[in-house]
Amino acid sequence: MRPSPRIVAALAVLPLALTACGGGGSSGPSAAPSVADASADNRAVKGGGTLNVALNADPDALDPSTSTTLVGREVFANMCEKLYDIDAASELVPQLATALPEVSEDGKEVTIKLRDGVKFNDGTPFDAEAVKKSLDRHRTWEKSSRQADLEAISKVEAVDATTVKLTLKRAFTPLTAQLADRAGMIMSPKALDSAGDNFGTAPVCVGPFTFASRTSGSQIVLDKAPDYYDAAKVKLDKLVYKIIVDPNVRAANLKSGDVQVADQLATTTVAGVQAGPNLKVVAGGGLGYYGLQINIGNATGSTDKPGPVDSALAKSPELREAFELALDREQINKTVYNGLHEVDCFPVPVDSPYRTPDLQCPKRDVAKAKQLVQASGVPTPIPVKLTSPNDATNQRLAQVIQQMTKEAGFAVTVETAEFVSTLEQGKSGDFQAMLSGWSGRVDPDGNLTNLVTGQGSNNYAGMADPGIDDPIKQAAAAQDTAERAELYSKAMKRAAELRGVVYLYHNKYYLGMSKNVAGVQYFKDGLPRYATAGFVA
Amino acid sequence: MVWFILRRCGSAVIVLFVASVLIFLGVRALPGDPAVVMAGEEASPAVVEAIRHEFGLDKPLPAQYVDYVTQTLSGNLGRSTQDQIPVADILAERLPVTLELSALAMLVAIVVGVGSGIVASVRRGKFADYVATGFGLAGLSVPHFWLGLLGILLFAVTLRWLPASGYVPFTEDPAANLQRMLLPALVLGTGFAAILMRQTRSAMLGALSADYVRTARSKGLAESKVVGAHALRNSLTTVVTVLGLQLGALISGAVVTEQIFVIPGFGKLTVDAVLTRNYPVIQAVVLVTVIGYVVVNLLVDIAYAYLNPRIRLSGGGHG
Amino acid sequence: MAETLAVPVRSGRADRRRRLWRRFRRRPMPMAGLVLVAAFLLLALLGPLVTGDPSAQDYAATLAPPSGAHPLGTDDLGRDALARIAHGAQVSLQAGVLSTLLAMVIGIPIGLVAGFYRRWLDPVVMRLVDVTLAFPFLVFAVGLAAIIGPSLKGVVLALGFSQLPAIIRITRGEVLAIREMDYVAAAIADGAGDRHILFRYVLPNCANPLIVQATVAIPAAIIGESTLSFLGLGVQPPTPSWGVMLTTAQQYLDVAPWLAIWPGVMIALATLGFNLLGDGLRDVLDPRSGR
Repeated sequence: MRPSPRIVAALAVLPLALTACGGGGSSGPSAAPSVADASADNRAVKGGGTLNVALNADPDALDPSTSTTLVGREVFANMCEKLYDIDAASELVPQLATALPEVSEDGKEVTIKLRDGVKFNDGTPFDAEAVKKSLDRHRTWEKSSRQADLEAISKVEAVDATTVKLTLKRAFTPLTAQLADRAGMIMSPKALDSAGDNFGTAPVCVGPFTFASRTSGSQIVLDKAPDYYDAAKVKLDKLVYKIIVDPNVRAANLKSGDVQVADQLATTTVAGVQAGPNLKVVAGGGLGYYGLQINIGNATGSTDKPGPVDSALAKSPELREAFELALDREQINKTVYNGLHEVDCFPVPVDSPYRTPDLQCPKRDVAKAKQLVQASGVPTPIPVKLTSPNDATNQRLAQVIQQMTKEAGFAVTVETAEFVSTLEQGKSGDFQAMLSGWSGRVDPDGNLTNLVTGQGSNNYAGMADPGIDDPIKQAAAAQDTAERAELYSKAMKRAAELRGVVYLYHNKYYLGMSKNVAGVQYFKDGLPRYATAGFVA
Repeated sequence: MVWFILRRCGSAVIVLFVASVLIFLGVRALPGDPAVVMAGEEASPAVVEAIRHEFGLDKPLPAQYVDYVTQTLSGNLGRSTQDQIPVADILAERLPVTLELSALAMLVAIVVGVGSGIVASVRRGKFADYVATGFGLAGLSVPHFWLGLLGILLFAVTLRWLPASGYVPFTEDPAANLQRMLLPALVLGTGFAAILMRQTRSAMLGALSADYVRTARSKGLAESKVVGAHALRNSLTTVVTVLGLQLGALISGAVVTEQIFVIPGFGKLTVDAVLTRNYPVIQAVVLVTVIGYVVVNLLVDIAYAYLNPRIRLSGGGHG
Repeated sequence: MAETLAVPVRSGRADRRRRLWRRFRRRPMPMAGLVLVAAFLLLALLGPLVTGDPSAQDYAATLAPPSGAHPLGTDDLGRDALARIAHGAQVSLQAGVLSTLLAMVIGIPIGLVAGFYRRWLDPVVMRLVDVTLAFPFLVFAVGLAAIIGPSLKGVVLALGFSQLPAIIRITRGEVLAIREMDYVAAAIADGAGDRHILFRYVLPNCANPLIVQATVAIPAAIIGESTLSFLGLGVQPPTPSWGVMLTTAQQYLDVAPWLAIWPGVMIALATLGFNLLGDGLRDVLDPRSGR
């Protein structure tokens, strides 16, 4: 083999040439793009057509009883109606029910009136017996993830064809909100009888679209439902969900027109999509939060009794305060998310009626943080292990936290793991600090009970404090909004002192769409509803 | 010959058996409790327990292994923990995608690799040889995923000739399918083209200096006939063997290529299954991969032994 | 090369080495490889001393194009790409060398023993090797990395184990060949101890093919590290690795394409260097090998 220096030289120059042709005309990141809030798009749409929607993750089984993913809820929102729903203002409204529930004086009897003449998408009539069958499956099937949601119910009765009566163990105001989510989805009794535990492979509900097929890891197809009670308002013939996990590819597919809608645009891709001549971006979400769990008492599992945890942050509330004071939430939002999320330090949305105006966030204060670190007497740098899911955005966040807390005397080491592993580490308490979030629920109870009260299933931090638990429990039984707001705020203030969770922001969702698509409803829950969507006439 | 085939088959069965144990243990050695993963974020411990029981994860390991083998042998690969879809259906969907990608990549590799290898050997020491040899080395040195990124940068971002990624089933739209498979196939094929080029070149050089070729030349045969009919035919056995041996590398390459171009094939399925701890899918995917690899190598061994009787006697493995 | 026969056995190793070097030096391709490998080693060993902190973030200068202050631009957290390239070389070097060393330290004794003693051990080892070879390299490495957990240690172990079968095979093959040689057979007949034979005759003769194998294994491990890191199974942030840098670059291909160029160029050049060097060494040291 004899060589030619010329070839070597040519090979060496190639990358330079590529840099030159790729580098021109691009600009660095710009200021946070402004994005329209909920889509008040009333342009007329024509009937027919297939809407291709990019989903950011592969949903789990499409069984309302077992589903635990947000993307699963995105699909359900268009094929499985619930007893109740939320509207643009995050208010609860009846969906398969005809009115909000009638609650007895003591709060223990709840009567729900149902729509008449409704059919499931397999033609089976929808009635009180069907509701009872579904609710009982949700709350008693051993594999149901809805058991906790409906735990307050002791009995479900079909009073007549259009009336269901729920008997509760105790007053539980968040119940209506639960029935506006998966726990309120009613499944076709015929499909349940034939499919049993495998209902999720071919789900049948009441809804504007009906399940047609699913290709594992690739796509889910829904057809317009002929039996839907409000079929006249449904314009599209077909809804095709394509699973495209990579955020850049999702955006690229939207730009190329392969999909007309892309959910949960990465904050790094929002500006690029907005710049597309035929594309627009609408914002939704904001009910959930993202933050930092600090393990303070989760020694053997989040549902076990709290125990001692051996880490500097676990042992010292002052060090946790120093850690939080070292963080600059605004800067994090800007650097990691292009300023597209909503900075906050509490788990309930900023504009929620369930929080009092005196809830305030601390500003970054490195001097005070250093002081606290010094006063603690722990030798610096104080080692902290931070567990992060291994996607690009979370790693970016982890590294920014690493940098910011370094100034206050912490030495954060980042340990990345697949998302599913972090889930398990969180539950079992096998972490010191961890990046983790919550997709959020309409009722504040959904953002608190399982997450910050003693032995809650998602209480990764292992908090157990009567100052948190008691007001939350009382608030669940109270029916007056102002009274509940007081109680929740009290609990959140106590939790903020304990710092089992350092909340960073409320996550907004950005839905990218082709400009010729109209009628999509996108609310705070971040679930795009396509019942009235279609292509502009 | 029969004895040789039997012995090879026997060792293939042993390999498969040990591999099945390794896969089984490896999957269980992955950090993360599958029951917790299956139950999802909001599940209570009772739900996790119910799932653990249903999937037999509460049994001792040997009992689980027996379950796994009996079920696999009876054709029941289980259901994906992600979406409850039967694993066999998933394999049936994903495998053809990767086979198409691999076939296209192989086509690229054979046309480019064997072609340039022949040219390089015939024009030994000339400019064409240097170009081909340089390409061979560069192709070996450049990682697939970077080549993929450069391809996207050049053809999709800068020139906008091809879509950046995505997949359209061939049955849905053949033109769009091929358009999207072109770049991935080129990327995946390049490395193999480089390997094939090097192998073809050295085999051809060996053949061209062999006695029988010299004899053919001295008999006054046309050079094209010498190269085509004699040297090339004798070099092809080497090339075929290399193709068989590169199957594993092809699968490795497909894993990365499918990841970059978001092609819903076998490689992406493997990585996704590992990342989501989808145990039934990981087991099935790796098992199918190993079976494919063992069977292809068995066939290559047999073909090779058939062509080269000396191998049978020495009993050498495939190395 | 008829001269090999003419030279007396005890002509001295230095002589032989000089002769090999002369033969090696005359070939420009292997020399180019040597230069590339030397440059890579320099970058890995000295680069980090010259460039700045690869983890220092500057939020005011994120995704900045190449400039005087940042010759290769900055990444999404405003970190200097040049500094990260230099430190990344260190990670690549560690992954390449340590995993190959690991494979040799474990593989050579196994190969020696299996080849020398044959009997029951040899078939068992060789079947195990067959099994390992039945797993595609990357699938095997991805699985191992996932089991061990993402870290440089995990990468080194995963890549080291993935290379084990090749090392065992080569060593064993050499042992089988050497055992049959007249002088070794004679030594065995003279009643020389096993250990004496292994270390005096067998091991030194394995050296050449193993050196050649190292020049194949190291670049494979460099690519392997970057691939595992690219898939998120490699080193932990903020450790810079060329693979991690490319993962980052992939997100910003349209706004910061320069980030995608240099880490890839570095991987390609380092790998190319080892490949060229390997080709040259193979021609000189291991002329029997068909490749």
